[in-house]
Amino acid sequence: MQHIDMRQALCQALDEELTRDERVFILGEEVAEYNGPYKVTKGLLDKFGPSRVIDTPISESAFSGLAIGAAMTGLRPVVDFMSFNFSFVAADQIISNAAKLYYMSGSRFKVPIVFRGPNGAAAQVSCQHSNCVESIYSNVAGLIIIAPSNAYDAKGLLKSAIRDDNPILFLESELLYGEKMEIPTEEYLIPIGKANIIKKGKDCTLISYSRMMPFAYEAAQKLEEKGISVELIDLRTIKPLDIETIFESVKKTNFCVIAEEGPHFGSVGSEITFQIQERCFDYLDAPVGKVSQKETPLPYSKVLEEASLVNVERIIASVENTVSNPI
Amino acid sequence: MLYDENHIAMHCLESRDAWSTISKELALKMMQEMLLIRRLEMAGEAAYLNGDVGGFFHSYIGQEAVQTAIVNVFGKDHWYTTSYRCHALALLLGVSPDAILAELYGKATGNAKGRGGSMHLFHDNLLGGHGIVGGQFAVAAGAGFSAKYKKEDRLSICFFGDGALAQGTFHETLNIVSLWNLPCIYVLENNSFGMGTATKRAIANDQKFLEKQAESFAMPFFRLDGMDIANCYAGFTKVYELIKKEKKPVLIECLTSRFRGHSISDPGLYRSKEELASCKKRDPILLFKTKLIEKGHLTEDQYKEMERDAKEKIQKSMQFAAESPFPDPTELEQDVLIEEGV
Repeated sequence: MQHIDMRQALCQALDEELTRDERVFILGEEVAEYNGPYKVTKGLLDKFGPSRVIDTPISESAFSGLAIGAAMTGLRPVVDFMSFNFSFVAADQIISNAAKLYYMSGSRFKVPIVFRGPNGAAAQVSCQHSNCVESIYSNVAGLIIIAPSNAYDAKGLLKSAIRDDNPILFLESELLYGEKMEIPTEEYLIPIGKANIIKKGKDCTLISYSRMMPFAYEAAQKLEEKGISVELIDLRTIKPLDIETIFESVKKTNFCVIAEEGPHFGSVGSEITFQIQERCFDYLDAPVGKVSQKETPLPYSKVLEEASLVNVERIIASVENTVSNPI
Repeated sequence: MLYDENHIAMHCLESRDAWSTISKELALKMMQEMLLIRRLEMAGEAAYLNGDVGGFFHSYIGQEAVQTAIVNVFGKDHWYTTSYRCHALALLLGVSPDAILAELYGKATGNAKGRGGSMHLFHDNLLGGHGIVGGQFAVAAGAGFSAKYKKEDRLSICFFGDGALAQGTFHETLNIVSLWNLPCIYVLENNSFGMGTATKRAIANDQKFLEKQAESFAMPFFRLDGMDIANCYAGFTKVYELIKKEKKPVLIECLTSRFRGHSISDPGLYRSKEELASCKKRDPILLFKTKLIEKGHLTEDQYKEMERDAKEKIQKSMQFAAESPFPDPTELEQDVLIEEGV
């Protein structure tokens, strides 16, 4: 075992896959000589050289499209978005090309590509650098969306993503990069599309992913002390959604709350809620609760930022409110 | 046409008469291909008006010389990418008229299984058929990147219209292909209209725009007479020799004209009858035919026979398309994602 943070775990995944498959290469802003905007690609230029770890101009649309063309013609690019907020500049390439070309070409051209980088809020980076992109892109058919919450999952899932033949958005969180945990030193993969039950419980299902998982975990611990047994599910993959694991849990607990980082309207939680009411209506003893970011651009001031984002207290309040009002 | 003949004569690549490099056999082959493209487009239009083809339909009529020449010079063993005006390129690269027309009809036997339609044709070496103006620039750069990465002797050839010149992807992509010296050839087919907007109303310094861009990106630039296949053939040959030797990206402008609207639903009210008529005087097929007859490579009767052959071939493909089954809706959700992705 090794005690490393998510940043190092991601770097190991990239290192191992670059070693394993010559078709894999990394490109993006500051990935090579600068060692990665968040040091995720640290040391990879020295090890693999500038033909495989490639600094690009600040030109998201061009290097994303270029990577798509490279993927169609036999390579396996890993595109580094310094921030997923910058993916919006390349949104046409992701939405109109990456997501559609396999289907639209009559299954002729696969697009095995991973777009990775930090998603959502960091620390006071303000309105244009704090978007959660998952609900926007999950509305596009043809994309896989992964959002790990810890170093172990991040490594195993990134390796699976690089080996997958589909276009994948791999959403990280700047605020989780430094979180350490014990992970195996030997190689392992984690399957895409499988949620993880972090903690068994009987009173309420709590669903979360990525940056909100540590909050959800803390909330679950505190609720336990208050006598509410929470079953905590980490989605790990947002799309395709492991809805069966969710259904099984909700059928057992009869209550469900979803905690997510992004804004309330049309969110991943909204979709999960819809699917639960569609398939588990008779099992529900209360409406599904949802804790999301407030409907604001994420403001700079610490006080305002905190007021908009989800926190442990809001998750606890939502679970308590949900389980205490059975129909 | 915004460029009159004098302008072309002044600015197009020299050696407008490049017949020394075109054998009789090659000339007749290219004529056959151009006639087949035109017949295919005419058949597609008829099917559209008959209600058999839906969505958008962008005709290549008037521009046939450009892609016919380049595919004959470069060959098929390269990557090709183009815009939604993609029927001709698919045909030239080896997609059968059956598969193209069946795709237009939305049939299961279509080139993209009825999923793409008129704007999205593909082949082993054809990366699309792209529907977003300028969306193909960077994809084509990626194919050039792959060739260089894998040390393959392949080029990436990308076509685009003048409407795409104002898109950010044009500028971003040229910067990268030049910076990284990728084996890419970008071919502007300047038909002087981006949909209904004349190029001069959309592009600053339009007559010299591409030339100046090439200069700023340090790329070699060529301007060709897109209505004259001999000029295209000679120009592309020169480009091919250059890129084989120097492996650097090249920018080409072909001055051409579309004889139809932007798409089939466009009546072309923004063009005068006189302007269109003067363009048609330089119909690439007529110019080519006249030259071939003049050189004794072709008689009027032979030409009629070639036309008839093309017509018959396309008629058979129309029948194939009409008789083909529609896709099975139970297969609708197949291949959105690759199931066994890993």
